[in-house]
Amino acid sequence: MELREFFNKEAVSLDLKGESKDEILKELIGLLGLDEKSEGILFKMLKRRENLGSTGIGRGIAIPHCRSLVVNRLRVAFGRKPGGVDFKAIDNEPVYNFFLIVAPPLEVSNQYLPVLGKIAQFAKEPDVPRRLAEITQPEDFLALLEEKGF
Amino acid sequence: MHPQLEVLLQIQDLKGQQRELAEGDDARQVEAEEFHMNVEDALRAIDQKLEELEGELDPPIRARYKRMSRSYHRVVVPVIGGNCFGCFVSIPTSVSSDIRSNDRIHHCENCGRFLYVIG
Repeated sequence: MELREFFNKEAVSLDLKGESKDEILKELIGLLGLDEKSEGILFKMLKRRENLGSTGIGRGIAIPHCRSLVVNRLRVAFGRKPGGVDFKAIDNEPVYNFFLIVAPPLEVSNQYLPVLGKIAQFAKEPDVPRRLAEITQPEDFLALLEEKGF
Repeated sequence: MHPQLEVLLQIQDLKGQQRELAEGDDARQVEAEEFHMNVEDALRAIDQKLEELEGELDPPIRARYKRMSRSYHRVVVPVIGGNCFGCFVSIPTSVSSDIRSNDRIHHCENCGRFLYVIG
């Protein structure tokens, strides 16, 4: 299983506008192209997950994630906020890079946790924060995943 | 979307998260190790939120939800390909087209689960 198979350039934004955790979550959800009601339900679910503990894992990276009935297959998105935003991350530092993962409650291929784990692993690569800051177009993000063997 | 259906979907999502954290070793491990979540605290918080959301359900819907929950983990299920995704029995065409808007509360005539269509 390779991470890049799950991402597409339409679900990558390198210039998130949001200035708060909520705004960033809404923008990330917007990348999935769901209907308005589904977006609202998903936002509430992601917020509830964040309330259980921030998904900001440090080094400027957060991985908001949840399962929800509003999707019928695993969906992922990537967003970058060049100025960073306070996401109540573990290291209390601003977060610049956001990986959103949403999966339905039941998945035939059970990809949710492996994908979550792989993204966490990718995020821990020493040069990933710097490389993510350098990319200029969505294709570069996909190429970085490929280069890193994800 | 019918407001009560929206609440039901939220409840079902939370119940799924609760079950995964309570019973799924992999999920517990990922949340604890990668995200430093205190799983026991999280489960208590989810319980509390579920109670709040269940309080938002109209009494007849709440009663049905509670009754169904005793038999099934998944009480709210999508209609996919014209079938109830709980019992996989075909939904009558007349109902199927009415469900599409998610504007009314529908049940599967076979298993009784609440039905919705993914937008």
